[in-house]
Amino acid sequence: MNFFRQFLALLRMNLGGEGARLGSVLTIIVGVTCTVAVLVSMLAMGTGAHSQAVGDVHDDEVVVQAKGSRFTESDITRDEMVTLRDLPGIARDKDGEPHVAGIVLVPFEGHRRGTGRRVFFPLLGSSDAKFELRPPAHLTEGRLFEPGLHEMIATNACVRQFDGFELGARRDVHGAQWTIVGHYDPGQSLQCIVLSDAATLMSLFGRNGYNRINVRLQAPSDFETFNRALEANPSLKLEAKTAREATEADFQQFNGLLNFVSYFIGSIMAIGATFGAVNSLYSIVDARRRELATLRAIGFGSGAIVAATLLESILLALPGALLGAALAWLLFHGMAVSPFGFNFRLDVTPRLVEIGIAWALFMGLIGGLLPALRAARVPVTTALRAT
Amino acid sequence: MKYLPLIWSGIWRKPGRTILIFLQVAVAFVLFGVLQGLRTGVQHAVDAARADLLIVHTRENFFSPLPLGLLEQIRSVPGVKVVVPVELFIGWYQKPEEATIVVAVSPEGDWTDAFTFNISPQHLAAFNANRTAALVTEFAAEKYHWKIGDHIPLMSNTKQKNGSTTWTSDVAGTFTDSDVGVGLRSKIIMHYAYYDEARASGTGTVNHFNLAVTDDNLAVTVADAIDRRFANSSHETKTESLRELAQTQVQRIGDLDFLIRAVVSAVLAALLFATATMMMQSVRERTPELAVLKTIGFTDRAVFLLILAEAIVVCVAAAACGLALATLVFPLAARFVVGLAMPNATVALGLALGATLAVVSAAIPAIRAARLRVVSALAAR
Repeated sequence: MNFFRQFLALLRMNLGGEGARLGSVLTIIVGVTCTVAVLVSMLAMGTGAHSQAVGDVHDDEVVVQAKGSRFTESDITRDEMVTLRDLPGIARDKDGEPHVAGIVLVPFEGHRRGTGRRVFFPLLGSSDAKFELRPPAHLTEGRLFEPGLHEMIATNACVRQFDGFELGARRDVHGAQWTIVGHYDPGQSLQCIVLSDAATLMSLFGRNGYNRINVRLQAPSDFETFNRALEANPSLKLEAKTAREATEADFQQFNGLLNFVSYFIGSIMAIGATFGAVNSLYSIVDARRRELATLRAIGFGSGAIVAATLLESILLALPGALLGAALAWLLFHGMAVSPFGFNFRLDVTPRLVEIGIAWALFMGLIGGLLPALRAARVPVTTALRAT
Repeated sequence: MKYLPLIWSGIWRKPGRTILIFLQVAVAFVLFGVLQGLRTGVQHAVDAARADLLIVHTRENFFSPLPLGLLEQIRSVPGVKVVVPVELFIGWYQKPEEATIVVAVSPEGDWTDAFTFNISPQHLAAFNANRTAALVTEFAAEKYHWKIGDHIPLMSNTKQKNGSTTWTSDVAGTFTDSDVGVGLRSKIIMHYAYYDEARASGTGTVNHFNLAVTDDNLAVTVADAIDRRFANSSHETKTESLRELAQTQVQRIGDLDFLIRAVVSAVLAALLFATATMMMQSVRERTPELAVLKTIGFTDRAVFLLILAEAIVVCVAAAACGLALATLVFPLAARFVVGLAMPNATVALGLALGATLAVVSAAIPAIRAARLRVVSALAAR
């Protein structure tokens, strides 16, 4: 109890005197603010990219690719497609047609509005356009492409980001003129996606196989049934993943890179800011030498002094953490960026704010250690004798 | 000169504080060096890319096939020195993680002039002589322990007529690639004829043509002439220099520019605040000593410069330390962006920023020290 009362008295004395040491206190707050603001906004990139990527995923959808394939070079024959349509677990429409779409990907380029910079993205050919336009995705303008004609539809993001995706615009694909006949909204994604008919694209590019097949199941729980049937069929050299798994796998590397960079920069800034905090706390403690020595002389324990100084340091880091997280939210939340050809919005989530605060408290704890020890070791006699 | 010991003792008056400030400034400049250096360094790497080597690919993208038949027409364009058909694919050695770029070329005449490859004459002759021969980058040779004469099997997604997807070639030598840009460092050159005859589909097509021009100044003219020749045909082309291609690759990270600038500003703002506070405090504590200096004849100006010099020495030395550490990061980064190095401009900018930081944060305390009235300062003791 005695320890606790001493601790409280010390804390009150410490925090009460902060006003007189405004420079040192502000140094700590500004340092922590900048660090947390940078860390939270950098991490918001990874969170934003991830939440957008999985945001449009339907849990009952499955992606089927050729076994062991990588990149876009998976090759699925039409025979395999026919066999696959009869597997159990697949959802069917009222005419009994299974919800299965064969997808081909061909590279396509766009030129960024304003800068004219060239960006590559895939042109998607789907054997069943209704599959890709499953709600919440929907056409916003124009109409769907006609199979057999050189027509395609583009997401609204394409129109915003690139030149030449307006309704009726003509695009050159492999020596043929294609027309943009519709615009659609894919849900949350800001990615430019251009969609057309799979068979038309395949004949133009002389391809025989699909790159992947999208399947809609009756219910997410049917995945096991579907997957077992797929693996049991000797004529199918295919592997299935839930759409969520496939998306996560695609984003893993990108997300890993973003998070690595965020924590790398965040750590370096934290180290710098902690040095600054140590310096400030030393001068705060030094300015209190006489008071501390007096308290020691009248019987305050060094444990209470250490604890009070540490808590003071942590409390000084807290406003910086809140301020930094608030700054990150104000400046960057919802900002659209497109590094490495991915388009997404920064997303400052409560979870990131928690990480920022934890980071700041840790900085406060580490930064306060040495000054707290010095405070506890103030030699009573010399400190009292000093002017 | 006589002031040097005075500056030195001023710096070490409170060693703990100086060391902490030094570390804080150094850490901040590590971050500055890495971020700013990467930004400028990438731009320098792009500028160093060859503008006189051209790539002819289809108009819409870089990957679609072009017929081999265009070769003669491209060759006949005035200003073209040498043109080589190129097919690219990804091969894997043993594991799917171990990807290698395979470049299939027709080794005719001075074909190497159209590439950024450095190949020794013996290795080149050995490669030209044998149609299953391959040249591997020194990086790949070291990584996979390939020696001259080895048969190396590479898995791929390209089927051969016999149904196999494994391509075997004989290592005839090694080479290095001086091209800049983002890409795999593991590369293999093989014969286009060998590849084209064996593959099951796509025979007679290429990914692109590499060409060199007779005169560097002709690069743009030649590129336009080639694209005009194939305009409105079923195989419209786009001809670009390696520099333009590198530019496109690098611009993908362009949108991060804003973030890099924001981070660097935040770092410097926090730093300025910390150093300014510390300088203030240091001068305040030393008021009596400074008054003594003035009493024994130091002018206001000398005291002002003394305080400023202390700050500059600490900050510039710390900035130099930080930038030196940042430079160590570049060999690592060069594994991803070939040709990347710490730009001198960034080092110079960093040192200048270090000095500016010192001057800005020490200016007010130094002025205060210069205006110090001896009588009141000593009386306050």
